[in-house]
Amino acid sequence: MAREADTRPEEANIDTYEAMLIVIPELDEEQVENTVGRFRTIIERTGGEAGEPNHWGRRKLAYEIDHRTDGFYVVMEFTAGERTLVELKRILRVSDDVLRHMVVKLPPSYAHKPLPETTEVTA
Amino acid sequence: MGRRRNGPPRGGRPTKSKPCVFCKEKVAYVDYKDYNMLRRFISDRGKVRARRVTGLCPQHQREAASAIKRAREMALLPYVVGR
Repeated sequence: MAREADTRPEEANIDTYEAMLIVIPELDEEQVENTVGRFRTIIERTGGEAGEPNHWGRRKLAYEIDHRTDGFYVVMEFTAGERTLVELKRILRVSDDVLRHMVVKLPPSYAHKPLPETTEVTA
Repeated sequence: MGRRRNGPPRGGRPTKSKPCVFCKEKVAYVDYKDYNMLRRFISDRGKVRARRVTGLCPQHQREAASAIKRAREMALLPYVVGR
């Protein structure tokens, strides 16, 4: 652990991550919020800090996933504690109401850029 | 081998090096979420366009390609158009 601190000159700079989830379209808005809330709890329980989720709404998928043509997109920024990433990814993988997920580390310089306009598609 | 940047044209159109659009706009991070912007760098088949077509610098071409691949994974962009 001490070695990790040595390699990083600014230890205070905590990495920011971003998670994108595709939630199954069978749920309604409220259930999507609940699902996302569950993951926020996981992040916070493991010592991270979850930002406000950005709901893109229901969108058409570029291709079919599990015979579904659309899904709810949710993007959320967070900081991670020691166990956050392992735990979050594990739970995301086993969650049946998440079609796909992606967690990326944001570059430190990256400020909140305006997101692409949410094109809501109701199928 | 010899990359002709501004050298004399060897048949065909004269070369004119255009600055990479990301460098011009001083983009530090090519965001995979901005899939509409990434559409400019894929063919109508959905393939990643070559650098000589996109006019991106090596670094940004790489970053754009990875961003496209991330966007594909999240079904924001297609792997293949018109199967």
